[in-house]
Amino acid sequence: MDSDTERAAAVEAGLVAAGCVVVGIAAGTADLTRAVRESGAEVIVCGLDDPSRDELEGMRALHRDEPRPVVLFAEKAEPEQIEAALAAGVAAYVVEGLAPARVRPVIEVAIRRFRAHQALREELALARQEVEERKLVDRAKALLMQRHRLSEPEAYRRLRRLAMDRGQKLVAVAAEIVGKMKA
Amino acid sequence: MPSAILDPALPRPALHRPALRTLRLGLVQLTDAAPVLVAEELGLFDAVGLRVTLSAEGAWAAVRDKLAFGALDAAQLLGPMPIALAAGLDGVRSQVTVGAGLGANGNTLTLSLPLAEAIGRFTRPLPAASFAAALRRRAAAGRPVTLGVVFPYSSHNYLLRWWLASGGLDPDRDLRLVTVPPPLCAGRLAEGAIDGFCAGEPWGSHAVERGLGTIALSSGDIWPNHPEKVLAFAAGYAARDPESAIACTAAIIAAARWLDAPENQAEAVHILQRRLFPALGAREIAAAFEGTAEGWLQAAPLRFRTATLPRREQAAWWLRQMRRWGHVPAGLTEATALSPWRQDLWRAAAARLREVEPPPPAPPPGEPADRDR
Repeated sequence: MDSDTERAAAVEAGLVAAGCVVVGIAAGTADLTRAVRESGAEVIVCGLDDPSRDELEGMRALHRDEPRPVVLFAEKAEPEQIEAALAAGVAAYVVEGLAPARVRPVIEVAIRRFRAHQALREELALARQEVEERKLVDRAKALLMQRHRLSEPEAYRRLRRLAMDRGQKLVAVAAEIVGKMKA
Repeated sequence: MPSAILDPALPRPALHRPALRTLRLGLVQLTDAAPVLVAEELGLFDAVGLRVTLSAEGAWAAVRDKLAFGALDAAQLLGPMPIALAAGLDGVRSQVTVGAGLGANGNTLTLSLPLAEAIGRFTRPLPAASFAAALRRRAAAGRPVTLGVVFPYSSHNYLLRWWLASGGLDPDRDLRLVTVPPPLCAGRLAEGAIDGFCAGEPWGSHAVERGLGTIALSSGDIWPNHPEKVLAFAAGYAARDPESAIACTAAIIAAARWLDAPENQAEAVHILQRRLFPALGAREIAAAFEGTAEGWLQAAPLRFRTATLPRREQAAWWLRQMRRWGHVPAGLTEATALSPWRQDLWRAAAARLREVEPPPPAPPPGEPADRDR
């Protein structure tokens, strides 16, 4: 259960590789109760913050006749596993009656895939930020070249000098220059 | 800015020693998260010397898990949640401490237009008997009614159940109750997945604004001035760092005081819109502050200041409902279930603000003898 389709696909691949059968992927499903019942899922993996979690919990508390999933953060889980799951942002539900030993590998795969996905996200964000920063520095350089009739290396040196004098990052100085000259 | 909120004649609440670390506080996208947001926006946490990071959580289950397993130090919780945690319902057990109430009243029962039409003309608040009659007609026609509540262990669920039962309905048999996260309620109503929902504001007013539903009654019509959300500290937090817990509680009381002053409501609406509901119009958010629901004046509207003192005898009503509907194990004692409600933090915080104890609230609705269960 995940509205992040990429992450859901990664978790699915991991689970299949571990010998599990993935009976369905749900994202923002309106009748979650029916989806869980009809899929016959024994374990449900989802994002820790997914709003659909509250609907899943409602199944247990509000309908006595449905499959009754129990959150895996339960007393029985080991503290390290709980901590790892929280850090990775993953929650899992076990349909009542399933032996804990059968659930363990599922949650371990989910934690690894969630963590990998998180790392990938962070890497991507970092790369995007680097590109943005480089663009900003280039624009500041171009503005300096234009205003002060400087060559590119001269403009770059001036930027660096400013940053060093003020003890600021190059990109911070570039942002200020772009902001000022635009205004 | 903060000095404008804290009466200059009163002593400023201050930490007796510097905070050692940042307090992580979880909240949910609802109007009654206002005391927490306002405390941050107006610098009230700063004024008490507390560093706080707020995190908006996507699900009540996530708030519960993070508070129970140490990823949050404090959180906005639904009133019955500390009981569920003390009882270890659904496997998650934790001994949280209630520092303050975050509000009274403020939820609405919103019905789809077709269902409202099936009821016929009614005066608000809708009498339970009229609803029951319409529901029976629908069931006889092979279309049983489904209503959404925001979480199983919620004031919404228990107040709605009480109201349904008062109209002669069995909430477990005569209709279907499902959980729907508040921001999804209007959409589910539009899809026809539910026929109505009981949720905190602004979600009822939002459904009305979108032309999807009509508000039949507000939760204060069922139990006038019922306690709503609470500010709860993680197990052991108040014992480890009582200064921070008291300071945080003081900031919340000061925020509640500010929120109940009519001259501040426009700014409160503005803060909520900017921080929590950028996609919603100011009118939808303002209704709760004006005490209106779809334009009609609520008898017991959303209030903050009078609800900050946590009262165990009020929480006992949640426990009685949880027992009535078989949501807690028979062996659960009242002492265990209600142990999260303490008043020492509130009293210490209130003393620093010279906040007087709010007047005793109206008693909860009585429960009929458990004849049919």
